[in-house]
Amino acid sequence: MKKSTRREFIAASAGAVALSAAIFRSTQGWLAQMGQVAGIGVERPLGRVLTPPHAEKIDPVSHALSRLTFGASPGDYACVTTLGVQAFIEEQLAPEKIDDSLCDRATARFADMWNEPLGEQYDADPEALAPVLRRVTLLRAVYSERQLFEVMCEFWSDHFNIDPGKGDCRWTKPNDDAEVIRKHALGNFHELLRASALSPAMLWYLDGRANVKRTPDEKPNENYARELMELHTLGVHGGYSQQDVMEVARCLTGWTIHGRRDDGFSKKLPTLKSDHFAVFFRTEAHDDGAKRVLGQEIPAGLGKGDLDRVIEIVCGHASTAQFIARKLCVRFIADESPQSAVDAVASAFSSGRGDIKATLRALFATPEFAASTGVKLKRPFHFIVSALRATNASTDADRPLTSYLERMGHMPFRWPTPDGYPAAAAHWRATLLWRWNFALALANDHIAGTSIQRAHLQARIGSDVGLMATLLGRQPRAEESDAWLKSGDGLALLIASPAFQRC
Amino acid sequence: MNPQTHISGNGDDKRTLVVVFLRGAADGLTLVAPLGDDNYHRFRPRLAVKREDAVKLDGFFGLHANLRALEPAWKDGELSIVHGAGGESDTRSHFEAQELMEHGGPASGGWLARFLRTVNPTPNPLSAVALSPTLPEVLSGAPAAAAFESLAEFSLGTLGRGRASRLPANFSRELRRLYELETDGLRDAARNTFDAIARIEAIDPNAQPGNGASYDERDSFSHGLRQVAQLIKADVGLDAASVDLGGWDSHFVQKTQVEPLMLRLANGLAAFRQDLGARMATTTVVVMTEFGRRVAENSAFGTDHGRGSAMFVLGGGVKGGRIFGGLQPGGPWPGLKSEMLEGPGDLPVWNNYRNVLAPVLTRHGAPADMARIFPDYDLKPLPLYS
Repeated sequence: MKKSTRREFIAASAGAVALSAAIFRSTQGWLAQMGQVAGIGVERPLGRVLTPPHAEKIDPVSHALSRLTFGASPGDYACVTTLGVQAFIEEQLAPEKIDDSLCDRATARFADMWNEPLGEQYDADPEALAPVLRRVTLLRAVYSERQLFEVMCEFWSDHFNIDPGKGDCRWTKPNDDAEVIRKHALGNFHELLRASALSPAMLWYLDGRANVKRTPDEKPNENYARELMELHTLGVHGGYSQQDVMEVARCLTGWTIHGRRDDGFSKKLPTLKSDHFAVFFRTEAHDDGAKRVLGQEIPAGLGKGDLDRVIEIVCGHASTAQFIARKLCVRFIADESPQSAVDAVASAFSSGRGDIKATLRALFATPEFAASTGVKLKRPFHFIVSALRATNASTDADRPLTSYLERMGHMPFRWPTPDGYPAAAAHWRATLLWRWNFALALANDHIAGTSIQRAHLQARIGSDVGLMATLLGRQPRAEESDAWLKSGDGLALLIASPAFQRC
Repeated sequence: MNPQTHISGNGDDKRTLVVVFLRGAADGLTLVAPLGDDNYHRFRPRLAVKREDAVKLDGFFGLHANLRALEPAWKDGELSIVHGAGGESDTRSHFEAQELMEHGGPASGGWLARFLRTVNPTPNPLSAVALSPTLPEVLSGAPAAAAFESLAEFSLGTLGRGRASRLPANFSRELRRLYELETDGLRDAARNTFDAIARIEAIDPNAQPGNGASYDERDSFSHGLRQVAQLIKADVGLDAASVDLGGWDSHFVQKTQVEPLMLRLANGLAAFRQDLGARMATTTVVVMTEFGRRVAENSAFGTDHGRGSAMFVLGGGVKGGRIFGGLQPGGPWPGLKSEMLEGPGDLPVWNNYRNVLAPVLTRHGAPADMARIFPDYDLKPLPLYS
C-alpha cells in the first residue's frame, strides 16, 4: 500500500484547499484503497443473532453493557448473554486480546498521525491536530470492541485533563493521549501518574516546565504540584498542606521540555527535530536540598530521583485510594456513591498498589454496582455515542456530528481547566434540547456523514418492541410503547426519551 | 407553578450582561478622540477626528461622528467610557491578545464562564448565549452556554443554522408526557427546556422593537443585539450574552474600513437601548477590543497594532456621562507625548480591562472575592457606579 505522510492526511482532514495536485492524487488513491472517502463512515455488519433484552427491568447483562461500554449495539445483548457477565468483564479487562479491525479501519486514515515521533508533530498545522484527535476519539468510542478500555481512556482524559488550546499543548496533546492515557488506561496508576508528570503536554499545561530554582531567591512554580495532589491524587480535602504543595514543587524543579521557542524555561533546539518537545532534567534548575512531603523525608541529593519518591508517597497515601475510588464509583455506580462501595474499591486500589484492572474488578463486584441500574445521566458524548451504537449507525465523525457535542459543551479535549469535564448530572441537564434535536436528526438521516439503515435494522430485529428493547436495554414500558406509536417518530422519540438519557 | 419561578436562574432582580467584542483591534483614538490634545492632531495629520466633526463629550474628548447615535446615552448619564484600556500583555498578536483577554489572563477558559459558574451553578438552557456560529473563548467552560446565530435554532426539530425538519404533530406532546413521568431532576430540566422553547416561540420575530427602536436587519451585529433584547424581554433567565463585531484591523485606509463599523456599532447599541427602555437599568453592555492601534498613522492611511484602546460601559445603572481618561480615575488625559508612549509608539494601557469588568461583575452578583474569576491579578476596580 502506498503511504502518504501524516501531514498530508491532516491537511486533507482539515479541509485544506491548498494541496498540491500530487499530494491530492496520492491522498485520494490512499483513501480509495481504504474504501473510505470523506463523508462515508465504516459500516458495522450486524451480527447473526440480534435477540433483544426480554426482561422488564434492566438485567445484569444490560446493566454491564450500559456501564462498561458507551452503549450496546444490536446483538451485544445476545453475545454477552451467551458469554456470561463475568466473562464479559474479564474480556473487556484484556483489550489487547480483542480483535479491533473494524475500529482500525474506521480510524486508518488518521493512523499516521500517531505513528510519527513527537518531534514531527512540530511541523503539523496545530489547528488541525486537535480536531483530528477529537474525531479519532469519537470514532474509537463508536467502533471499538474494546469498549471498557475506551471508557477508561475518557475517564483518565478527564482526570488528567489537558486543554490543547494552551500554548504548545496544541502540538503535544495527541502524544499525551497515546503515551500517557491510552498506554496506561488499564495499567497501573503509579505508572500512569509518572507518565503524566513527565508528559510534554502536562509540563506545559500546568507550568511544570517553568518550575525552576536557579538562584536562592527563585520561587518554584506550584501550579502542577498543587493539581498533582488536589486533582490527580489526594483530592482537595485529602490532608495535604500548603507546605506540602511547596515541598512537592521543590521536588519537581528542573523538569522541562524543548519547546517551540526559548522563553527562559523551555529551550528550543532548532537543529534536531527529534528533540522538539523532548523532556529533560536540568540539574542546575533543581532544588536538591532535603524535603519533607506528607510527613515523609526526602533526603538531599536525589536529583531527578525526587520525582519517583513523590509519586510513591502520593500514590501510597490513603486519601489517593479514596479519591480515585470515589471518582470511579461516580463514573460507574452513581453520582452519590455509597461509602461502602468506595471503601471496597479503595481497598482493592491499595492492595493492588494502583492496579487499575484489579480496582475495576472490585468495583464491578460490589452489590452497589449491581443495584445501581439506570440511575446515571449519560454525559453528552456518551449519549451521542450510545445512540450511534444502538442504531448501528456509520459515521465519519466530522463536523456535522461533532457540532452537536459543541452545542452541548462536551467536545472532547475542549475543557479548559485541569479538573476535566464534570461527571455529575447537574452540570449536563440543560442540554436536553440539543439531545432531542440530535435524536430527530439521527433518526431521519439528517446528519451529513452519519447514516443509519433504519428499515434494515428494524427488519432484522423483527419488531417495534424488539427495536425499543434494543435501545432501552429492557422491554419498553406501556407508556413508552404508547408514545412510540403516537409520536409519529418512534425511533427519535425513544432516543430523546428520559430512559435513553440514562445508563 | 408559575413557569417564571423555575426557569429564571437569576431571581426577580434579573440582570443580563452583554459583552460586545470588537475583533481585530479597534482604534480607541478614533472611537473616542482626545480632541483637545494638539499632539493627537500632529500624530494623525490625515486620520485624526476633526474638532468640528466630533460629537463633543466634555470639552476635551469627542466621539467620532459615526458614533453620534450614542450621544443620547451619554447625555442621559447611561454611558461611561474608559480610555487607555487593554490588557497587560504586550503581545500585538490578535489571536494571543483576544485569548488572553477572553480568558482573563493566562488562565484556561473564559472569565465570563467562570463568572457564570460562580453566580449560577445550576443554569437553565438559556442562561448564557452567544449570537455566533461557535462559542467564543470568553464563554469557554460555561455550563450549558448555547451558541446560535438565530433564535429560530432554539426549537424542537431544528437541524442547526435555522433549517427545520418536519416535526411530527404529536412528537412534542409525547416527549413531554414521558418526561412528566420522571421524578428526578430530569423532569425539571425538561420542564425548563419546554418552557424556554415556548418563550422563544412566543417571540414574534416580526414584532416591532420597543419604544420605536429601529434595528438595521441587514446588519448581523444589529440583528444579534435585537435577538438578545428579545430574550431579555421574554424573561428566559438570560444571565449573559456575547455578540461580536469584527473587522477593525485597519492597517490600510482606515477610514473606509472603520467608519461603517462605527455606524453599525453605535446604531446597534442605540437601538438596543431604546428597545429595552426601562430594562436597560438591569442590562449592562460592555464593549471591548483586544488592543488599540499605533498613535502615529502609517503611510497607507492606516494604523498598526498598538496597546491601549477604549472600552464602553452602557446601562445597568452605571454612573455615566463620564470618561475615565486619566492615569488616575478622574485625573486628566496624560497627553500623547513621545516619551510616554510605549514600545513602537503606542498609547499605554493604564486601565486594565479587569478593573473595568470587576465593578460590572459585582453589579451582576459576583462575590466580593473575584480570585476565581480573575486569578492571579491584583484588582483595582474603577468606580463606575459612584
